[in-house]
Amino acid sequence: MPSTAEPVTVPEPVVERETRSASQLAPTFWVVCWNDPVNLMVYVTHVFRQIFGWDKVKAEKHMLEVHEKGKSLLVRAGLEKAEFYVHELHKYKLHATMEPAE
Amino acid sequence: MRLLAQAGGKWRYHLLPGEADILRGLLEKFPFTAPGAAAISRTEVNLEARERETWLQESMAEHRQQLQQLAVPLLAQDRWRQTATGYQLTLDAEAREILLQILNDIRVGCWQVLGEPEDLDLPPAPPASPAEVAGRNLMDLAAYFEMALLEDRATE
Repeated sequence: MPSTAEPVTVPEPVVERETRSASQLAPTFWVVCWNDPVNLMVYVTHVFRQIFGWDKVKAEKHMLEVHEKGKSLLVRAGLEKAEFYVHELHKYKLHATMEPAE
Repeated sequence: MRLLAQAGGKWRYHLLPGEADILRGLLEKFPFTAPGAAAISRTEVNLEARERETWLQESMAEHRQQLQQLAVPLLAQDRWRQTATGYQLTLDAEAREILLQILNDIRVGCWQVLGEPEDLDLPPAPPASPAEVAGRNLMDLAAYFEMALLEDRATE
């Protein structure tokens, strides 16, 4: 006759948790457009609408920020998305970079 | 050049004979300048940023070659309908974007060759070389056609 084993209490595994900031887990970048004297204002507005799908008001707000303040932070995104946006902006010959968001 | 009508994802423009000649000439001879440098960051100087920058430059060189190939269909006869006063050019959204990118490549490329002048309203300091004058003229022509392409009020 098989014996019945006493129930064994297994201790809960200890999970070590580290606290990390969001940037350490997945670094994010600002996609920045910089001012230059060569790209036409109407063209820059058009490009922002094409790439980001913004309405005219939002696109013009960022275009004016580029024009008047020298740069505009367009979007904050993860590495791949930020790279994608920078490449798209460069296809239109806008001066765009990606800068660490922290 | 002016926008005649925009409907159903198509843009129809009217060009005078001289305008049509110039625009087709720009497309036939594109690119006019060597590819410029493309920086990916103003703050990052690490290895990853350098690799991303190399990739960006390779990607832009490839894109430029594609634009050169895509310029050919823009010259196709079926896009250009001769009228009593000139030509009608019909573009779908994709063709319009390609044309804008080509024109702005010409404009920005010439600006870079000219030393990236800050004030484009000022004429080049005399004596301007023939290359400087040509560069300025190309920039102005590209801007003229860009503005016309981005016109949103149809006249027909």
